[in-house]
Amino acid sequence: MSIIEIKDVKKNFHNLEVLKGVSFNVEKGEVVSIIGPSGGGKSTLLRCLNCLETYDSGSIKVIGEDLKEIKDMNSFRQKVGMVFQQFNLFANMNVLNNCIFAQTKALKRNKDEAKKIALENLQKVGMEKFINAYPNTLSGGQKQRVAIARAISMNPEILLFDEPTSALDPEMVEEVLNVIRSLVNKGLTMIIVSHEIDFVRDISDKIIFMDDGIVAESGSPKEIFTNPKNERTKVFLRKVIRN
Amino acid sequence: MINCFKMFSMDSRLLEIFLNSFTRILIPGLLVTIPLTIVAFFLAMIIAVVVAIIRFANIKILKDICRFYVWIIRGTPLLVQLFFAYYGLPKLGITWTSPFICAVLVFAFNEGAYASETIRGSLNSVSEGQIEAGYCVGMSYLQIMWRIVLPQALRAAFPSLMNGLIGMVKDTSLASNITVTEMFFVTRTIVTTTYEPLLLYLEVALIYLLFSSILSKVQTVIEKKLNAQVGK
Ligand SMILES: Nc1ncnc2c1ncn2[C@@H]1O[C@H](COP(=O)(O)OP(=O)(O)OP(=O)(O)O)[C@@H](O)[C@H]1O
Ligand SMILES: [Mg+2]
Repeated sequence: MSIIEIKDVKKNFHNLEVLKGVSFNVEKGEVVSIIGPSGGGKSTLLRCLNCLETYDSGSIKVIGEDLKEIKDMNSFRQKVGMVFQQFNLFANMNVLNNCIFAQTKALKRNKDEAKKIALENLQKVGMEKFINAYPNTLSGGQKQRVAIARAISMNPEILLFDEPTSALDPEMVEEVLNVIRSLVNKGLTMIIVSHEIDFVRDISDKIIFMDDGIVAESGSPKEIFTNPKNERTKVFLRKVIRN
Repeated sequence: MINCFKMFSMDSRLLEIFLNSFTRILIPGLLVTIPLTIVAFFLAMIIAVVVAIIRFANIKILKDICRFYVWIIRGTPLLVQLFFAYYGLPKLGITWTSPFICAVLVFAFNEGAYASETIRGSLNSVSEGQIEAGYCVGMSYLQIMWRIVLPQALRAAFPSLMNGLIGMVKDTSLASNITVTEMFFVTRTIVTTTYEPLLLYLEVALIYLLFSSILSKVQTVIEKKLNAQVGK
């Protein structure tokens, strides 16, 4: 059984058909990257996977649960972490509390254990020196690394990334990508929406090319990048690689 | 102006009235005006937070009731609300054990309506992304509201809420009209026996000014603390 099973998912925003029948599976521990032109429905699909967005038809199963039949939404979401383009750190909490808060509130870990886990993860992302800092004093790259520490402190089974480096100044992109690289090989399933072509080629087990609400092409990085079959994939890759 | 100066410096009778009445006015200030303000403001904050969250969260029916409440309160004069509650409601069988309690409730509901609008605006200013991030780490809506959104909203609303508090200190003088023996009520009584309106109204004004100034100072200190906390 795949950890994520997406079958013929469709979604409209009012009159706009954003997902037009998307299907694919993700296996446990896989790193899957979704690429494609702007407006193609990548974020929408990703947000459907943790129920931030609903879909109109088709079916999505995540960790064995049909998303339309989830009884305990909060405990489901603890298993599916998300890292956002805009970081979305809790502005009224310092770095450490950003990473502790949900552990104690949602997972009911005791304070000491939560703190220990948060510190470990902040160390992993290289932010252990900033535990008392508030988000508005950090750079974009630092904020994103804290956001990643916050997400992995919940020990999720799946981690979703929606353009984690798109809001960063160029010189900060690499530090965040390196942190994401360091998460691979930990049995963690990751789905990454990104325009960092070299990065996704490097890190992914599978590439999904989404365009205009459908999966236009999917395959290994090698298949997609060296030998794309779909005309739209070719056009897209020519554009991004030239940039 | 010079006349006025002479009047104060030369007339020992005026000085005596001034000094005698000072404590007579200050004591109801400390025992009535301030408790009235504090209790009413505290209740107002509870009402405001509840109303703001109901409207922010778009809870059916309750939302409409809250909107109606804010509409009524903001659309009618405070003095009319006081009279309506104190003299009008008893005709409907709602009686007050003391005018003080009536005043507390009227001020609480009045300020609660205004403050709820302030807080609602600040709730909207907290980024939607933080709410989503809260969901993504498995927190419930109430946990997110209570621990993430509301603290930020109250911080943002703090200066306006303090304005409301300072306004309320002064507005409590209206309660003299429904026989609450607060500072202004007492001042008016003293004026009727001494016939010194200029001196006494000036005196009570100074005491209101003193109270408001203290509150402004408190506001500045707390604001600095709040800003330091989030690294501003
Ligand atoms: N909440 C919404 N309401 C209405 N339309 C929306 C909403 N969210 C997204 N859309 C529309 O849905 C389409 C797909 O958006 P989506 O954000 O999923 O694309 P994307 O592939 O992530 O694009 P990008 O690379 O720019 O992030 C777009 O046309 C967008 O304008
Ligand atoms: Mg997007």
